Amino acid sequence: MRSKTLYFNKTLFLKDLSRFWPLWGGASFIGALFPLAMLSKLLRYGGYAGFSAGAPLEMTKLYYEVLQAAVPVVCLLYGLLCAMAVWNYLYNARSAGLMHTLPIRREGLFVTSFLAGAAMLLIPFAVTGTLCVLTSAAFGLFEPVGLLVTILGVLGESFFYFSSATLAAFITGNAFAMPALYLLLHFLEAILDLLLSNFARGFIFGFSTDYTGLLEFLSPTVYLYGNVMTNAEYRQITNSAGEYVRNELVSVRMENLWIIAVYALAGAALLAFAFALYRRRQSERAGDVVAVGWMRPFFRYGVAALAALLGGQLIYSMFWYDDYFKMAPLAVCMVLAGAIGYYGASMLLAKTLRVFRGSWKGLALVAAGIAVVCGALKMDVFGAAGRVPEISQIQRAELNVDNNSYTFYPGEEDELLEQVRAVHAAIAADRDYILNLERADLPSLADEEAPWTHTTFSLTYITTSGQKVRRVYYVPLTRERLSQSGTYDYLLDRLVNSQEMRLKRIHANGDGYEPTGGSIYLNSRDEGYDLSDREAAAILEALARDAVAGRWGQVNWLDTREETRGTAYAMSLSLSFRQSLDQNKFRHDWIDISVRPEMTAVTACLMELGLVTSADLVTYAEMYPEEYGGESSRVRTPPAEAVWPETVSESVVVMGTVG
Amino acid sequence: MIEVNGLTKRFDSFTALDEAAVTVPAGSVYGLVGPNGAGKSTLIRHLTGIYRQDAGTVRIGGEDVWENDALKARVGVIPDDWYYFSQSTIRDMCRFYRGFYPSFSMERYEKLKEVFGIDEKRAIRRLSKGMQKQAAFWLVLSCMPDYLILDEPVDGLDPVMRRQVWSLVMGDVSQRGTTVLVSSHNLRELEDVCDHVGIMDRGKVLLERSLAQLQDNMVKLQVVFQDGVTEVPPELPALHASKIGRIHTLIMRMNAQEAAERLAAYNPLLVDAVPLTLEEIFIYELGGADYAVKDIVL
Repeated sequence: MRSKTLYFNKTLFLKDLSRFWPLWGGASFIGALFPLAMLSKLLRYGGYAGFSAGAPLEMTKLYYEVLQAAVPVVCLLYGLLCAMAVWNYLYNARSAGLMHTLPIRREGLFVTSFLAGAAMLLIPFAVTGTLCVLTSAAFGLFEPVGLLVTILGVLGESFFYFSSATLAAFITGNAFAMPALYLLLHFLEAILDLLLSNFARGFIFGFSTDYTGLLEFLSPTVYLYGNVMTNAEYRQITNSAGEYVRNELVSVRMENLWIIAVYALAGAALLAFAFALYRRRQSERAGDVVAVGWMRPFFRYGVAALAALLGGQLIYSMFWYDDYFKMAPLAVCMVLAGAIGYYGASMLLAKTLRVFRGSWKGLALVAAGIAVVCGALKMDVFGAAGRVPEISQIQRAELNVDNNSYTFYPGEEDELLEQVRAVHAAIAADRDYILNLERADLPSLADEEAPWTHTTFSLTYITTSGQKVRRVYYVPLTRERLSQSGTYDYLLDRLVNSQEMRLKRIHANGDGYEPTGGSIYLNSRDEGYDLSDREAAAILEALARDAVAGRWGQVNWLDTREETRGTAYAMSLSLSFRQSLDQNKFRHDWIDISVRPEMTAVTACLMELGLVTSADLVTYAEMYPEEYGGESSRVRTPPAEAVWPETVSESVVVMGTVG
Repeated sequence: MIEVNGLTKRFDSFTALDEAAVTVPAGSVYGLVGPNGAGKSTLIRHLTGIYRQDAGTVRIGGEDVWENDALKARVGVIPDDWYYFSQSTIRDMCRFYRGFYPSFSMERYEKLKEVFGIDEKRAIRRLSKGMQKQAAFWLVLSCMPDYLILDEPVDGLDPVMRRQVWSLVMGDVSQRGTTVLVSSHNLRELEDVCDHVGIMDRGKVLLERSLAQLQDNMVKLQVVFQDGVTEVPPELPALHASKIGRIHTLIMRMNAQEAAERLAAYNPLLVDAVPLTLEEIFIYELGGADYAVKDIVL
């Protein structure tokens, strides 16, 4: 006699759905509130409810935004709940006993429970989606392509998240460990990235603490958020008089949808792995934190390593405050935290507190691992501290120094890039000098006679392999070394104050950036004004003339006096730039200009454009003498003759992805 | 027929079953007895397809049990701690079992409803432990199994219901030829129903015999000797001897006829054979071995 079940059992499927109806019923109810709210708004406000009447693309944009922003998090959390519901029988010896006594093979249990869980996950999406479609169709907002893309996206992400939750369910045998493991696996890469970056920063001179994101795809939620996004293009509608009426959505699309497809494929692999684990799973592992025998050492030593890394740094930071780690105390802190993690994991695995006997070998292994890692980083065996990529290895380099950003591309600016590399190499070579000077208790910079200062030199190389090498140095600059050839002080000064860099700072070197406007604020009038692109271009041209003539852009490192600022005109001038990349993708930049009396070309341009009058050309020191130690003050009288030009708006506004 | 050979199961460093072997003839009622921790439940979990053995074979009706859905459809199981879905009624569980067991009989289910007299619409978790056990019997017997595997099945049942349940099981054995394996740590529980018995301790099956074999091999006699004979003659191979008044009670490893012949030499005034309990048989079969037999029979 054959059993009634091979790969799917309807009774079990329906039993799962009926047992856990509050879960999917509640989720469906919450989901249904959104289309109902939309319906309510449409009924009350019509086209003003956030949708242009008769514009189905608006609905598509809404779908895409939900797919981009809400679906990953919903799938992450709700998928976990569904998995916990359908696989909970694995975590109790009695329930595991019943299910495995039934005349159904593991394949049948796996397929049926997976389908039940997937149904529970998708029912709320289906309810919400159906109501959205009905609502949109009733108001002429139905758009099938967007709907189809969204359905595929939801299916792909749901499948991936539920498969990953299923895998987590089969790795563990404990109901409490399952959600912890699932969330840890989903964010382990991001956590490790942050922890390791911070750890390496304490050893490697100049190493940046930033999140590298090298393997971010292993943190799917983070990766989906950062890479799958909505791209909408609007057209500005004007009336016959050229006045703005409204923006109209002309196209909307989902960028990088293929990532969801890749994750769905990865989900299939995870599911196959989960099934393989089920085939070999021992029912007696119900209740164990790790149900897969060969994964138990990974868990034990993984927890120990994570505890050493996180706990070690935390304990260390409670007692020491240095920028760079002291090797011996850090190692002690890490061994202590690692031991806590090791024994904690051992206790969880053994389900007893008596794990100390005979455990010294494992603990010695943890301590040895910590010693090796700390030693390797201390001795910089990978040469990270002194690494300066060759020009041939560089795709681009981004420099930030003295609050200005520059981007260099090999082949276009090799000479400048070489200078940048030379400064970097010189700083890296002077590690001991810089650290010794840091440790010395130098006088405060408030002393204007101090012959030294500090500056931040931040450099990021994007290598041809796509790797990001980021270094940030907080370096001292001294008067003596600034004039001493070969020192990094000298090289940095020569680089930053070169004419090429001055022009580069304002994108006047033909790097593809175009002025797109800006703003000017006049303290004399307490008023501000947005610049048109034409005005910005004229000012930029004048600024370039001043830069070439040496009237702007010279960085005086050691001049930190307040009086210096006081000699600038009391106005804030800012210019913005945009560089076109691919279609609808742009890179933006801006610069704040301190306008000084010697900048004759800029001053003349501002007056010529009617943006300022001679009455506005008053310095901070003149305007605020009490702050700058002066005695007289010019009366702040807004010039009556100043006339602000009308704003000229562009006819097409493109809201694209900022690259 | 249920056949287990060389069954070994280890939980980490602990060996729960150590080359255990059990043979249950078709249509028989086999009692598996042993002290707590002997490995009875572990062996049963292999027979029901929950555990996979590290070594050895586990066969029912000549087929391996592991992942054998067709075979498991013919096996009814009542574990020591029966699981039910927390919100379920007996009726719900009936639908659930019916969805898995092709031979599930609604007719029998309805008949058994009369026998057990439990409200099938009450949540099982609200029933007493004994009533939950009855519910388990109700559902499993409705599956019309060819093999019944019962782990401490009557714990928690009152004496009347125990008799009722055993009566139902024995009815299946006699009418349908059902093969039953029942585990217990209490020999007295099994002595009325089993025709074969196996004893387990420390993961091994120490001994298995039919009840007839056991009874043929041992005899319990009450003897009154002639005046002047106050002690049992030392030549008699008595496993056990006790005396109340003039009546000596002897247990000897031989059949009744041979015992009578040996005693005839002493011209006893009275020789009367009395039935041995399973308890006595096991105590004196294993009395010389270093096993905690007392734990089994207490």
